[in-house]
Amino acid sequence: MGGKASIILVMGFAMVLGFLTVNMNRFATKAVGNMTSYHESTVAHNLALAGTNTALSKIYQDTSWTGPITQTYNSPLLRGSFTARTYALGTGGKLMRCISSYPAATGQTLKDTIEVYFNGRKRNSFSVFAWMTNFEGNVFWITEDTVWGRVHSNGNLHVNGKPVFMEKATTSKGFDPKPGTGVNKAIYKGGYETGVAEITFPNDISEIVGASTTGGRRYTTDIWVTLSPGTSASGDGMAYIQTSSSGPITDSISLADPSFKGVILGNGRVNVKGTLDGQLTISSMTDVYIQNDIVYEQNPLAGSSDDLLGLVAERNVIVADNAANSSNCRIDACIFDRTGSFSAENYSSRGLSGTLNVTGSIVQDTRGAVGQFAGSTLTSGFSKRYRFDTRLNDPAFRPPYYPGYYVRTFAISGWWESYRITSVD
Amino acid sequence: MSALLDVIASILFGGTLMMIILTATDIAAESQATHSGDMLVQELLTNTAQLVEGELRNMGFGVPEGESAVLRAEESRIHFLADIDRDGVIDTMKYSLGDTTEMRDTQNELDRPLKRQINNGAVLSVGSVTTFRLRYLTREGTPLASPVPSDQLAEIHMVEVSMEVQNPYAPTRDPEMVGSGERNALYSTSLWQQTRLASQNTRR
Repeated sequence: MGGKASIILVMGFAMVLGFLTVNMNRFATKAVGNMTSYHESTVAHNLALAGTNTALSKIYQDTSWTGPITQTYNSPLLRGSFTARTYALGTGGKLMRCISSYPAATGQTLKDTIEVYFNGRKRNSFSVFAWMTNFEGNVFWITEDTVWGRVHSNGNLHVNGKPVFMEKATTSKGFDPKPGTGVNKAIYKGGYETGVAEITFPNDISEIVGASTTGGRRYTTDIWVTLSPGTSASGDGMAYIQTSSSGPITDSISLADPSFKGVILGNGRVNVKGTLDGQLTISSMTDVYIQNDIVYEQNPLAGSSDDLLGLVAERNVIVADNAANSSNCRIDACIFDRTGSFSAENYSSRGLSGTLNVTGSIVQDTRGAVGQFAGSTLTSGFSKRYRFDTRLNDPAFRPPYYPGYYVRTFAISGWWESYRITSVD
Repeated sequence: MSALLDVIASILFGGTLMMIILTATDIAAESQATHSGDMLVQELLTNTAQLVEGELRNMGFGVPEGESAVLRAEESRIHFLADIDRDGVIDTMKYSLGDTTEMRDTQNELDRPLKRQINNGAVLSVGSVTTFRLRYLTREGTPLASPVPSDQLAEIHMVEVSMEVQNPYAPTRDPEMVGSGERNALYSTSLWQQTRLASQNTRR
């Protein structure tokens, strides 16, 4: 009787233990299975990465390559495959998509996708040029002219004497006369190149217009802008707006205000002077007049500075003929004249006005004059001292909404990698 | 007499057997709980790791060149920009580590929620972790001090992610078995680390 009971007891416990063992094994297997699954998805992802790198290599050897390229692996160490191909996108862009397949131990096929986006063109800022013109007109680079920074003209660069170009000088047409011939004795320290692609000027300044009405300021009349540096702290400058040179202040703009987009635009003539502390673009749908010195609170030539000003005119940026500018004028700014010139008002009749010091960048449609010479002697206007602000070598460092142009490129603009969220079961 | 001896022997044999089986059942139950904990921890870890890894890999996707993809970088918090749902609109992603008090209803006193927020949406817990640590590295692999100052955020090109997960519940141990400095339950622990997680979008 007792023996039978013991046997039944043993069998009962054996069943319970057996059940527990089965469960234990299941849990242990699943725990390992989770890590296996993670490993398998990592392998699938790595396969897609391998395919992406293979396709990138193809693309950079031949940008017209469209694929597809397929590779299959069937070794004990690695199984699976990938296929990569490219697709055309708008504005000359391209998309390269690589899809990998990996046979998982569960019988599932894991797929991973990587997409790489290429820009067909890249935006650059006009502020990277120390000097740029669409047309040089009949103005010559002469002895004692020295330019720091890049120089470019979409037309011919005329040289008469021994000017010094400290960085590369390029033209879409050529030098007149050719370098090293005739009166062209220019020194090209960074080299020169002719026949380069024209850099197209924008058709309008719509980006500035847009920014001026969505977070910036736009005025419908002529305005006078006086820049004030605020305290000695950085970035707390102010811009005061008047509608006449001696009228009351009608608007005050704090450049530190995060909601201000950094753009002031006038429909009419915009007159500017003062000391800037911050980053700002002052623009006019007609002309910008410089009424007095415009300087940065922190001079970039004397140390670090984060101040940056853009003077953008639909037509001209002009140094006014007035008492303040009759004896030297200093301008710290990036100057852009979309359809006109950077010039001095009455340059041929204002009398000797000292030196025009510009620290920044000058880009104009047609080269303007700031002085008049008789031989090599200045008879009226300014003698020039133009220094490039080297911070502008970085195209990302530019005044707010400063005009830009596009260059053909094949740079990667985006990289997307698919990922999976493992389901819990 | 013989029958009585049979009964006594059976009782002794049966009793011994029962003791052995009961002990074995105890051990088996504890072992099952441990394995179940291991499985749960592995599941929690792989789920969370795949999400974090996947989204950090896409950090900066859709963000214009020259703009920093990382908005905030701290030891257990990261805010970054990415067009995460690929709708052409850049999203702000926020990952942060919650507090242990937010998971008081679990037995484990060390677990805390790992939180994720997209734009101004709801803050959701995407997993329960005991450690979530981020380290930020430059293109050259130089570690940046945490929290990374705003003027150095653009220098972040790689992120090292360390994550530890423990199961929220575990078999409690007999207090007599708990040594000094030991915890009173058998928590399973799993550690995951990505030493150099680089988003290609921050390397342009």
